[in-house]
Amino acid sequence: MKNWPWLILTPALIFVLIGVFAPLLMTHNPSTQDYSAVLAPSSWSNWLGTDYLGRDMYSRIIGGARTSLVAMVFVLVAALVIGVVIGSFAGYVGGRTELVLISVIDIALALPSLIIALALIGVFSGEAWSWMSDYWKMILALTLAWWANYARMSRAVVMAELQQPYIEAARVMGASHMWIFTRHILPHVLGLVVVYASADAGALVLAIATLSFLGLGVAPPTPEWGQMLVDGMSYIEEYPSLVIIPGLALTAVVISFNLLGEAFALQKVPRAVRGGLLRRKKAARAVEEAARAQTEAKV
Amino acid sequence: MQRMFMRRTGLALLLMLAASALTFALVSAAPGNVAALIAERAAGAGADGEMIAKIANDLGLNDPLPVRYLRWLGDAMTGDFGISLRTGKPMAEEFAERIPKTLALLAGGGVLALLLSLVMGLAGAVSNGGLVDKLLHALALIGASTPNFFVAAMLVIVFSVMLGWVPTFGVSGFSSWLLPWITIALFPGSVLARVVRVNLQEAMSRPFATTGFAKGLTRRAVLLREALPNILIPYMTTFGAQFTLMMIGAIVVERVFGLNGIGAFFIEAIRFRDFIGMQAVLMLFVVFFVSVNLLVDIAAMLADPRLRRPRRA
Repeated sequence: MKNWPWLILTPALIFVLIGVFAPLLMTHNPSTQDYSAVLAPSSWSNWLGTDYLGRDMYSRIIGGARTSLVAMVFVLVAALVIGVVIGSFAGYVGGRTELVLISVIDIALALPSLIIALALIGVFSGEAWSWMSDYWKMILALTLAWWANYARMSRAVVMAELQQPYIEAARVMGASHMWIFTRHILPHVLGLVVVYASADAGALVLAIATLSFLGLGVAPPTPEWGQMLVDGMSYIEEYPSLVIIPGLALTAVVISFNLLGEAFALQKVPRAVRGGLLRRKKAARAVEEAARAQTEAKV
Repeated sequence: MQRMFMRRTGLALLLMLAASALTFALVSAAPGNVAALIAERAAGAGADGEMIAKIANDLGLNDPLPVRYLRWLGDAMTGDFGISLRTGKPMAEEFAERIPKTLALLAGGGVLALLLSLVMGLAGAVSNGGLVDKLLHALALIGASTPNFFVAAMLVIVFSVMLGWVPTFGVSGFSSWLLPWITIALFPGSVLARVVRVNLQEAMSRPFATTGFAKGLTRRAVLLREALPNILIPYMTTFGAQFTLMMIGAIVVERVFGLNGIGAFFIEAIRFRDFIGMQAVLMLFVVFFVSVNLLVDIAAMLADPRLRRPRRA
């Protein structure tokens, strides 16, 4: 491992690749029911057996990877952009605007993200939102529940960076606010936030699965691990594999992202992977802080 | 010192107020719903517009949002959280029935997480780089990565289905609480075990540990007498955060094991669009999370005088 620091990326990468190439990897349509082969054991045609509707478990697991990956990428990108914009703006502008924004961020962080997401899904169940599919409601709810962490982090980086002498120098040389922000500050913010996001991905996959497990996320027949697991709970006594297979898939993905997060926190990841943006001790410390905050505030 | 306490408490109250106002605004934003839902419950599908309008008027749903919020808050202060649209019972009654169950779940889980983390963390530190340490590290990583509903499922498979030691679902006596407790304790226990382990390692490299060794103390004695008290602050803060997060575990666990606590009610309220129930539970959550955080802050200030000094904003 010491000579191959890139290896730490492999498990997470495998998940991403499976998600991207899911249609090529599936042997069956994950939603096609086959009543002649209900609850079948593992065989040459159904590698991991079939579920209570005769759907191929292997294809559903692969399809589930894609479902999670797509939702996770949407939420992560949207939450990151919203968080960075609001947080950086608050940190850069300062004064009363900052006070208002930081209060909003603090209020948003008063409840755990998952509970906020649950409440929002409840609100979106009203008739006014009926034009939106459950899948997109979940993505929207998670995004609105997830941005505040990124905003708080971005603000902290901006405030630290504004103290640096080179900002003063740029200002003296007549650089505009936009120039200073995009050229000097934004790279630092993104460097930290992207690293944090890569470790946060696991928590998000878990959140998606938890919502679906509770029946408030991805609705059938779309394959999703949490929902597969809750479906399997009714057959837990005779066919525990219906529960164990999606559970193991989910756990494996979360472990791979947590390994990544721990590696970032312990600085085991090579500089090239960290994007060369975290050369400074301060930024490295911030990553450590972020990783710690993440283990503290998982889910 | 006292001023610090007052300040923190005041801020916490302000945060509760703001967060409850925000959740109220959010839940009420689902337009016209409550009146229509009540009419539907009362008259079946045949509820007409007139009836809905009358109910909305009677309940004051046409008043401006701030007025409605203040009225709701005033009622809530006197213990009146409205009547659940889902169960038709007053929310205060639901709370009285369900809060003890969720609290029992959280308390048991909390105690278990405490024991688990201290045992795992200390055993790791005693082994220090040995096989036990590595094994426990791996175990903690797995514990912190396994979704709690999967943990619950595995426990049911092993202890109920295979061994038949405990009932699968429902509550009947002490033994039925064991699996729920283990389920919600595993994640915080694993995270806290890492906190114990990492902070002990850090403390062992500090000068006071060297002094301990110089005095001729054994490694174990330095670990327990000198290093252990030093991890109190990080441990307490993380424990507080993890304890509140166990509420999420409780939501999942109550559903899996059929415990009728607050978490299960919250999910029911969301699924059945019981906005009154949702609002009441969210208020409860806000109070719970903010006050636990406040208690942890105060406990940390009592334990470490350095934290009592006011920080510059």
